[in-house]
Formats: sequence, C-alpha cells, structure tokens
Amino acid sequence: MRIEKCWFCSSQIYPGHGIQFVRNDAKIFRFCRSKCHKNFKMKRNPRKVQWTKAYRRLHGKDMTQDSTFEFERKRNRPERYDRTLAENTLKAIKTIDKVRTSRSESHIKKREQDRARKELEQDILLVSNTMTLKEDPSLVLPKIKVPKTSNQQENLAMEE
Amino acid sequence: MGGKCPHRSVRKRRYSHKTHRRSKFEVKGDDIVYNDLLKPDANRKPLPLDEDLPGMGQYYCLHCDRYFSNVAVRDEHFKSKRHKKRLKIMLGPAPHTQLDAELAAGMGMPDNGPKLMSM
Repeated sequence: MRIEKCWFCSSQIYPGHGIQFVRNDAKIFRFCRSKCHKNFKMKRNPRKVQWTKAYRRLHGKDMTQDSTFEFERKRNRPERYDRTLAENTLKAIKTIDKVRTSRSESHIKKREQDRARKELEQDILLVSNTMTLKEDPSLVLPKIKVPKTSNQQENLAMEE
Repeated sequence: MGGKCPHRSVRKRRYSHKTHRRSKFEVKGDDIVYNDLLKPDANRKPLPLDEDLPGMGQYYCLHCDRYFSNVAVRDEHFKSKRHKKRLKIMLGPAPHTQLDAELAAGMGMPDNGPKLMSM
C-alpha cells in the first residue's frame, strides 16, 4: 500500500481517499479531492494555479533543493523485511521531518526578508532621485484644491 | 451528463449517448501530443487509410489531433487562430506529469534499484 501524491496539487492521498481517473491509454491520474479533479477536468495547468505545490516550487515560494528530498522516493523494487532497519527508519523519519520543516521555515523567512529589503531599496531610490518624482505625476500626492476663502473676497471688495 | 436532453429526435446526438461522447474520450491528451511531436520526422509512419475518418485519414494535424477531408481544408486550418494557439502551447515547456507532481511534493526521483540484467 502506498500513500500516493495528487496529480494536481501534490498532496498526499491516503488509501480510500480521492478519486482516480484512468485515461484510455492506461495512464493513471490520481486526485486528492473533488477540487483537484474538477480543476483537471477544466484542463487547468497546475503550474499556473497558485495554490498548487507545482506553482509554489516554480515561483520560488518553497524550498527546491535540499538533501532531505532524497529520502522519500517511489521504490519500485520490494525490500526484504528487516526489523532493525524498519525501526531505524521509523526513528529517522521524525528527525528528517523536523529538519525539513525548520529549513523550509528559514527559507520562507529569508524570502520575506529579501522582499522587505528590495522594497526599502526601491523606496530609497525613489526619494533620493527627485527627477523621477517630477516626471511621474502618479507618484506624488494629488494637489488639493482649496476653495476660495471669504477673506480673499473681502480683499477684492476693499480694492473696489 | 446523464439524460440531459431526453426528447431529442436524433438519438445519437443525445448528450448521454455513448457513441456521441466517444469523440470526446478519444481526443489525445496534451502530453501524448507533446511526446509525439518530439519524435523526429523520419520515424513517422505514413498515415494508414481509414474509411471512418474524414478524407480517409490522410490529412492530419499533429498538433491539434484532427483529421481533415482534403488538403485545402487542412491548410486553412493551419492558418486558423486555434491552431496557432495550440502551436504556441506545444512549443512551450512539457506538460505537467505525475512525476512533476511528486517532485514538487518533496520526493526524489523514482528508484528502481540496480539493473539486474546486463544488456
């Protein structure tokens, strides 16, 4: 028994969950829930749908290269059962998972910092370069029209 | 889909009629078309004669997986917007596959073990 991955969003599919579509060339498409299945039927590309893992990978939202990705694989060769090996793997899974989550958290933190720094640099550039402010009127606050005060009208009256 | 238009006089054109829907099932998927296009032209076999297909199955568009009745119609199709759109998609990156989904989920490449038979 395997925990499969959803074709569309790459989440896990536990036995008895989701739906499976077999195309007439015997290719299997597995979906974790009706949401993913419907998106597939609409012929959407998972690389262009923002909530999928494929999109997040492609756009640098998630960690892409890491040594922890080397452990989980589709192994198409049966392994001979070995009790100590099984025990050790079970123990290792926990630590690997911990390492991976901490690394992905740090990746996201770094991403946020980079974004903030870039924004700050942009702002500094804008303020220091006064010419750009003059050229582009949309960057400057719109001028507020001050209605004519009664004081001015009085002055006009005095002149007369 | 079932029984959407029950009183239609032409039975075969009912939405629920399987022979009507068959044309939909038999459309090739994007990934198959993409892989077919990758093959070199020299490997391509001449199109087999098929009575059931338009134009005996001789006028075919690889990109759109469609048969045409004659050369003129096919050439007209090559000029169409739909075909050009399709061309653009097929020139782009390879369509999403299950392997891509697994890699995105944080899995490594599949492991088939060492080769047992030495070729």
